[in-house]
Amino acid sequence: MGNILIVAEMQNGSIRESSYELASFAQKIADPSQVRSLVIGESVTEEANAFSTKGGGEVTVVDNAAVSNYSAEAYRQAILAVIQETNASTILLSNTPSGWDVAPRLAAALDAAFISDCFDIDRIDEKLVFLRRVFNGKLDARLEAAADIVVATMQPGATAPYEGTTNGTVSSLEVSFNEQKSRFLETKVAESKGVDLSKAEIIVSGGRGVGDPEKFPETIQPLADALGGAMGASRPVVDAGWLPHEYQVGSSGQIVTPKLYVACGISGAIQHLVGMKGSNFIIAINKDGDAPIFEIADLGVVGDLFEVVPALTDAVKSAKS
Amino acid sequence: MKILVCLKQVPHQDARLDIKSDGSWIQEESIKFEINSYDTYALEEALRIKDEKEAEVVVASIGPDRTTQALRTALGMGADRAVHVNDESVEGSDALAIAKILAAIGKEESPDLVFTGLMADDGNFASVGPMVAELLEMPHATAVMSASLEGEKLIAERELEGGALEVVELQLPCLLAVQTGINQVRYASLKGIMAAKKKPLDTRSAADLGVQELVGTGAAKIKVQEIYVPPKTQGAEILEGSTTDVAEGLVAKIKELGLL
Repeated sequence: MGNILIVAEMQNGSIRESSYELASFAQKIADPSQVRSLVIGESVTEEANAFSTKGGGEVTVVDNAAVSNYSAEAYRQAILAVIQETNASTILLSNTPSGWDVAPRLAAALDAAFISDCFDIDRIDEKLVFLRRVFNGKLDARLEAAADIVVATMQPGATAPYEGTTNGTVSSLEVSFNEQKSRFLETKVAESKGVDLSKAEIIVSGGRGVGDPEKFPETIQPLADALGGAMGASRPVVDAGWLPHEYQVGSSGQIVTPKLYVACGISGAIQHLVGMKGSNFIIAINKDGDAPIFEIADLGVVGDLFEVVPALTDAVKSAKS
Repeated sequence: MKILVCLKQVPHQDARLDIKSDGSWIQEESIKFEINSYDTYALEEALRIKDEKEAEVVVASIGPDRTTQALRTALGMGADRAVHVNDESVEGSDALAIAKILAAIGKEESPDLVFTGLMADDGNFASVGPMVAELLEMPHATAVMSASLEGEKLIAERELEGGALEVVELQLPCLLAVQTGINQVRYASLKGIMAAKKKPLDTRSAADLGVQELVGTGAAKIKVQEIYVPPKTQGAEILEGSTTDVAEGLVAKIKELGLL
């Protein structure tokens, strides 16, 4: 196996925690002497120095105003240059908005194997083996790379950040960027529109299983009201226009950590679980007993939410009176 | 303006997923299929451009006979023309091979805009869109939550974490991999469905497109060793009994947590 290249990612002036997780994966599958890293951005040398001794190994820095913000085109060019420079045959990125954006392009440019959003990676008999979810979390897949070059993205949070020390070096690579066909304009922060679920102690959320926009005020909101909590929703509900975006719990909505989270008719896609798994206690009500939500829930009811939720609402009301 | 929309037909979201005896994939024989949810938003976004200005919308899909249904639905929604790559030799292709087929169609069609979904509901790879853009040497954006044309440029908003957005400017031709929720997807009207029957649907093979050497199981750079039901962790304690019993059990727990 050739060298392994970690593509580290800057966020608000520091290297993201997920990049240190990549270092853990790299150390797991390669000899420390084979670990290379790329730190890309503007004025990043200090961070690169730190990373080189904390899992990054031999770090190449591409420090250029052209890559001060993420751009698929410029990142692609810089990463390809460093892959060549470091003689890397395994390239690891985090499955973040920039990682998932550029990684498939690298694979196509290199005619490489591409595996995305893996939660584990292993080396068995000199073959790289990857684990990842498929069918929106309902099944898992084990895949092997069958090409000389492999590009993979790893799910943030899938492993602990690397905590060892490595013999680090830092060198710089000048990249003369091509004329760009795209450019970064700005980042817009999320607008808060009044529903702040992050402060709610109890959240009752509805998912696709609620089936109908009218059922939210009829079924889900009354339970939230009875418990003195707030109502939330999963992504399909918001995508369908049943509730506005501010109700959305998940990686692209709000990250919540209430004392009690009640998931009604939510199957438990990864992007939803990321947003609510930090809840102190999780109750799941779903008609499909195999739904992934039951894996993360503390207490579950396999049944029709239109029977269970109103009965629970009544029981909560009588317990209070 | 010409717009190419790449669609995938995937198992229906409520379909029962039984794993094949060799573990290679799910049994696809007796289940219902539908257009990948992300791709319906991609198609809608293309149709909205066509509602506003002169544009031809071409839909392309790769798959067996059943895929015709997805393409007819897309034509019924308002697409003008369909290309169906129906070829057994394509079976077992990985995402990069699929991207090579779509890029071959892209080279023939020379679209100003290419739309794909961000990912497919079955494999969840989220790779074909950017791969097609690479092969066609176009700029691209993924997780697109809005797209507006401004002359020879397109302004796209990409979804980041926690609801933040990144605004990018792309020169045409470009590719957009669309996130769900970007729009409200229309239904095919009865009139649309009737009209769709007369719209052109070309069937092509890998050889027609000059990519026969690049596709299929033999060319795949990743191999599925096995798919399996995720190992059960501790999991939830499941309350059983009548609805009343279950409700009482839940209330008892909520009381125990000190929340009632």
